[in-house]
Amino acid sequence: MSSEAQAVTNTVADVPLSRRFGWIWWVALLASGALVLLLGYTLISVAILGVGVWGVNIPFVWGFDLINYAWWIGIANGASLFAAILVLRRHDLRTAVNRFAEGVAFFAVICAGIFPIVHLGRPWLFYWVFPYPATFQVWPQFRSTLTWDFWAISTHAIVTSLLWYVGLIPDLATLRDRARTRAGKRLYGVFALGWRGSVRDWAYHQRAYRLVAILVLPLILIMQSTVAFEFAVTLVPDWHETRQPLHFVATGLAQGLSIVLLVAVLLRWGLRLGRYIDDEDVDLLGRLVLASALVSGYLYLDEIASALLAEPVPQEATFNRITGDYAGLYWTSIVYSILIPQLLWLKAARRSTVAGIFVGISIGVGVWFDRFSIIVGGLQTDYLPSVWRTYAPTLPETGLFLGTLGLFAALLLLFVRFLPVVSMFETRHDEHEEASS
Amino acid sequence: MTRAPHGVMAEFKTPDALLAAVRAAKRAGYTRLDAYSPFPLPDLAGELGVRTTVVPWIAFVAGLIGAGLQYTAQYWMNAVDYPLNVGGRPLDSWPAFIPATLIVAILWAGAATLIGLLLILRLPRLHHPVFAVHGFERASNDRFFLCILGDDPLFEDGETRGFLEAQSPMMVREVPACG
Repeated sequence: MSSEAQAVTNTVADVPLSRRFGWIWWVALLASGALVLLLGYTLISVAILGVGVWGVNIPFVWGFDLINYAWWIGIANGASLFAAILVLRRHDLRTAVNRFAEGVAFFAVICAGIFPIVHLGRPWLFYWVFPYPATFQVWPQFRSTLTWDFWAISTHAIVTSLLWYVGLIPDLATLRDRARTRAGKRLYGVFALGWRGSVRDWAYHQRAYRLVAILVLPLILIMQSTVAFEFAVTLVPDWHETRQPLHFVATGLAQGLSIVLLVAVLLRWGLRLGRYIDDEDVDLLGRLVLASALVSGYLYLDEIASALLAEPVPQEATFNRITGDYAGLYWTSIVYSILIPQLLWLKAARRSTVAGIFVGISIGVGVWFDRFSIIVGGLQTDYLPSVWRTYAPTLPETGLFLGTLGLFAALLLLFVRFLPVVSMFETRHDEHEEASS
Repeated sequence: MTRAPHGVMAEFKTPDALLAAVRAAKRAGYTRLDAYSPFPLPDLAGELGVRTTVVPWIAFVAGLIGAGLQYTAQYWMNAVDYPLNVGGRPLDSWPAFIPATLIVAILWAGAATLIGLLLILRLPRLHHPVFAVHGFERASNDRFFLCILGDDPLFEDGETRGFLEAQSPMMVREVPACG
């Protein structure tokens, strides 16, 4: 068993500890780094010039800012859900692959958090949402959904990052003990906090880690609903619906799971981790993605049924979204996020790298179009016909979105390069169980 | 006079050998034991008498405090200190205060559990006597260690060493006390 444990540690630990990592990684990091620069540029331009550089104007009070915010939040929540499911599903220690799912959730919530802050118009005053004793003696209005969002995003960011880090501590200790350079030993050593692997420490570590992983489950449902409430509490005809939270939760989870699937198959292929992210894990992910796509499909039907039963104004607004200027978005979304994932009924597709990449990207794109359709298509025909017009993102808005994609990719690439993407101690444990049974 | 050592440590190849050694040490009357392993060993933790029931209590109590604080803060700010009439809606709109209350309860429970974990384990602590033992770095890879601590009432340098050597370990070493 001992030599097998050594083999696990070698394969996973060699990745962060190796001196060379191949040119593909460098090219990808440079490309995403360029996008991060673009992100910086667009953020500065919005801060200096104001939100006038965006294409938003009455009636389109929300545009790319909220589309991309809702989209990133979906990814963060779906990834957290998958991590929590892994912890809940098995009673033994088999949760190795939730490491990168938590990483994906953490990076996505960072990208999501950028949008609501810059769309404030004066982003440097974002701390006004926090209830601090201001000299002008005004408190935030907690009856507004926008303040709930502040708590939801910050809680998700804090809890996910803490959970991710605490889960990493034992593996950082392994890297500390295996690092070949003095700088590596010191750096990993400081972040490992002096972990010794005492059996008592392990018992507390596992109990706390599992408990918090499960606590995240209700959090993501509340958080995604909060995003939806921001739409539902407005008077915009197409948004003012109690079904809104259900729609956002279901489609958001489908999209988050699909991005986890995408990252899983890419890691498996790129780092040759097929033994640790095994067929069974990817198969489970495929089933979850398929199930969530079916639920999304059901909710699309529900939307049409609700519209048929609704009063004339909301009915017209919904059908305008399906058949009007932005109908293309709606139908694209159905094709990409509901029809294409049906491929996953085939076992061969669930286990294939190419199909995983294809379906993962497809749902990501489909749900992005869905958010676009809801936000822009919903706002287009407000109560005042004289302001009915169309919206298109300007270059700074597109740059902002591409920038967050670059930031997400860059964080993921650095994570893959310097930290173990699957939990080494859990895989060691599994191999031991297999060897002794 | 030399200082009493931190303890004596034996290295084992498998978790089963470690478990057998821990049982033998308990039969021999040793009470101050510590074991090190590259992955969690719940059975051994039970054998060593580790009880982690405090962890869910930390989460529960912290969650209650967080929820209480958040709800009270929202009520006090919006209904007492700065009442603002929005379209005649009640000032104490409790349903509107619930989402943030639940979210902040999870924030407190999660953060308190994970930060409390570090406090319970007394981490960060970058230096520890066990790190001085040659070969201990494999405790994070593939080896299992049992340490009988120097403050055990039965601890007698040569005798304890002899006891550990009888448990067929790969090697036995003294753990010097930290300066």
